[in-house]
Amino acid sequence: MSGSATVGPLDADVWVEGLSRSFNGVAAVRDVSFAVGAGEIHALCGHNGAGKSTVVKLLSGQLAPDAGRIVLRGEAVDFRSRQAAQRSGVALVDQELSVIPALTVLENMLLGDIHVPFVNRRRWAAADCRRILDDMGLGHISPDQPLSALSIGERQLVEIAKALSQKARLVILDEPTATLSDVETEHVFSAIRRVAGLGCSVIFVSHRLSEVLALCDTVTVLRDGRSVATTPARDLTVDELIVQMLGAAPRRLTATRAWDPAHAPALRIEHLHVPGRLSDFTLTASAGRVYALAGQLGSGASDVLRALAGLHPKATGVVELHGRPLPFRDPVRVARAGLAFVSNDRKSEGLFLGTSVARNLVATRLPRLARAGVVQSRLERRTALALAEQSGLPEGRLDDDVLALSGGNQQKVFVGRCLGGGDVWALLLDEPTRGVDVGGRAEIHRLLREAADHGLVVIFASTELDELLELGDVIVTMRDGRVVNRYEGAVDEALLMRDMTHGVDAP
Amino acid sequence: MTSGRLSQPDRLLPAVSLVIVVAGFLCSPLVSGRPLESFDVYNALQGFAQLGLLALAIGLTMIAGEFDLSVVGTYALGGILAVEAGQSSPFLGVLVAVAAGAAIGAMQGGLIARLRIPSLPVTLATYIALLGLTYTMSGGLSTTYRNSDVTLWVDQTVADVFSPRSLLTLAAFLGAAVVLGFTKLGRELRAVGGDRRASRVAGVSVDRRLIGIFTVSGTLAALGGALLSYSYASANPDPGLQPLILAAVAALLGGVSLTGGRGAPLGLLAGTLSVALLAQIVAITALPDFSTQLLYACLLAVIVAIESPGLHQAVDRLRAGRAMTTRRWGSGVRTSGAAASAGQHPRRAAHPKEKEDDHDRGDDHRS
Repeated sequence: MSGSATVGPLDADVWVEGLSRSFNGVAAVRDVSFAVGAGEIHALCGHNGAGKSTVVKLLSGQLAPDAGRIVLRGEAVDFRSRQAAQRSGVALVDQELSVIPALTVLENMLLGDIHVPFVNRRRWAAADCRRILDDMGLGHISPDQPLSALSIGERQLVEIAKALSQKARLVILDEPTATLSDVETEHVFSAIRRVAGLGCSVIFVSHRLSEVLALCDTVTVLRDGRSVATTPARDLTVDELIVQMLGAAPRRLTATRAWDPAHAPALRIEHLHVPGRLSDFTLTASAGRVYALAGQLGSGASDVLRALAGLHPKATGVVELHGRPLPFRDPVRVARAGLAFVSNDRKSEGLFLGTSVARNLVATRLPRLARAGVVQSRLERRTALALAEQSGLPEGRLDDDVLALSGGNQQKVFVGRCLGGGDVWALLLDEPTRGVDVGGRAEIHRLLREAADHGLVVIFASTELDELLELGDVIVTMRDGRVVNRYEGAVDEALLMRDMTHGVDAP
Repeated sequence: MTSGRLSQPDRLLPAVSLVIVVAGFLCSPLVSGRPLESFDVYNALQGFAQLGLLALAIGLTMIAGEFDLSVVGTYALGGILAVEAGQSSPFLGVLVAVAAGAAIGAMQGGLIARLRIPSLPVTLATYIALLGLTYTMSGGLSTTYRNSDVTLWVDQTVADVFSPRSLLTLAAFLGAAVVLGFTKLGRELRAVGGDRRASRVAGVSVDRRLIGIFTVSGTLAALGGALLSYSYASANPDPGLQPLILAAVAALLGGVSLTGGRGAPLGLLAGTLSVALLAQIVAITALPDFSTQLLYACLLAVIVAIESPGLHQAVDRLRAGRAMTTRRWGSGVRTSGAAASAGQHPRRAAHPKEKEDDHDRGDDHRS
């Protein structure tokens, strides 16, 4: 990308040339160039740390580039803030959920939109908001509802709807579907296609490669901060895309384990019930196997895990772990009984982001590292090292803050924290690989498989078909708070998808 | 959603606290043995005027997720400046006081927003510095205001129960309610208080809003101080911490959350009126002075308990435990019926409060 191209491609609406940015001397983005035409849906792919998020921040005015330029409709722009980018017509769905729980749905929709007048016109805005919510499949949500009453997935949909409704020239969506179920994703995709049809350029960042190929026109792959290739999506397959991203295809996991009579039932769940969320869930899980709960958002799959972990105070039922009643409804006693829970929200329910990797790894076992209440620093160090090795974390990063790690490595810290204690009997994971790249995902799956081999009960909930099929020995499909089916082998994507979206009472 | 309106804490808390205190006020003749007079209401409103602008100043910064400790300092400085500059023209005095308050507020807001310093140390430093300044200006003694016409004017009765001072204070609350309720400023202020990072991403000029709200807070505090010194015909260089504490109590009773993002001027108004009325009840019933503090503490305890998530969860846990016992001994018909009806639309049936509890740790996550 030398100086030969001083004028961008004529039909390009958005044109990025030689974009570079480094942090503390480490280059995050080097000489990235690509062009997006009007009405084009352009994907940015790359595994964690490839520089996607930095490119998004540069384009949306959250960071200023060290070198290179951004041209919008033939005009070079220099964004100094989000407001400046917004005035130039750049809307953003940030990687992190960026709606405000303290405001209502409508207020969130209006926030930061430059077209919104200074004096509120509530009735007019509410009618608009109603239509936008209906388009996004959120017909059951009222514009006046406080956002804090919505689930995480619904909040994400509100944020996407907001960005798509701002009449922008360029909409950037950074991992918009990471917290969404497949049905919700379909709503998002049709909304994206609709705005693209009106001539808006769209930049779509995602780890879900099949989604990328289904939705996007063009795919630009980043690797180590550089743009590697820009290819029309119709010329690509998932495997080819993975090769572009990693340079080599990742290893696939081995096939499903059969039931081993040597392992007695370890976790018995009977008639687990959470008012309004989950009804009559029964499962007997034996050690050494991986159980997958397959369900969209609101299916009750993650409520099973949350109830067992003691996070649903209204849950009822009978739960036994190795023959002893589990005191669920109390998170602390559940943890003491040997049940570890990995939440789907590692940022607010998992890790201590501003603290080192080592500290995070030992955070749940401090009492056993202490003598007379004082933590033995040498013992702490040794334990952290052992856990880091076991969970495949680079040793050199033990003293870094978790915040500085990629999503995949953060998740490894979260999972790794629950391992190798000798006092954990069951591992519950809600969306174990959310926001994790392909390579990191395979490693986390390997960790879980190893945990099962060591005699733990592993139960996870997921909305991703690939993950369910790869990892689950037993797959339980759920919808609307009930179990639909239970599979041990002999199941395919179509079958799972049908259970999850149509359920038992479909004609 | 209309039925859900009042159940939101920023409406529920001030409503409950005002209802409790007004009921107490109306019942006070039972203890005092004399009927209520318009004079009692006037006195309560005078108390409201003394506290109101300070409570509004603190409450607004709390909605934006900050805490302005310096308001008492600005309050004192406003009083002294108004007295010094306003001997001949009270308007000039108020103008000087307000200009100084605005300048101090803007400076603090600038430091907090641009340098991203927490507001507590900045405003604490300003508070101490302002106390030093007022001592230097006054020599540590009260400054007398000699224009008695003004003193009589600000406290004269209007329509039996009001005074120009309480009317001005009321107007400030209503003005704030209109601006925050009908323009995008209110939305942005609560957004800044609710989640600063998300507000920046959404395109709110967070820095400008912060500077603005501290300027408003300084202005209101200085105006409050100026009016008070005209009313007392003297300015006190150190009003102590009592006004700050009462203003914070008023803000909390008014449904403003300490974590920011929640609250409204009308709620603040109800909270401030509660504080003022409670003091008046103690005066009417001739209870000993210290009982005022005890009553404030009790009222605050009630208000805090109403919205405590821990209490909600404990109640839920208790109910679930009881349901399980009955199910174990009973036939189970009742519970299975409930399960079937709840299972039809679990997402719609889910109670909003329950979801809120699930995610409340997420909500508090702010940089």
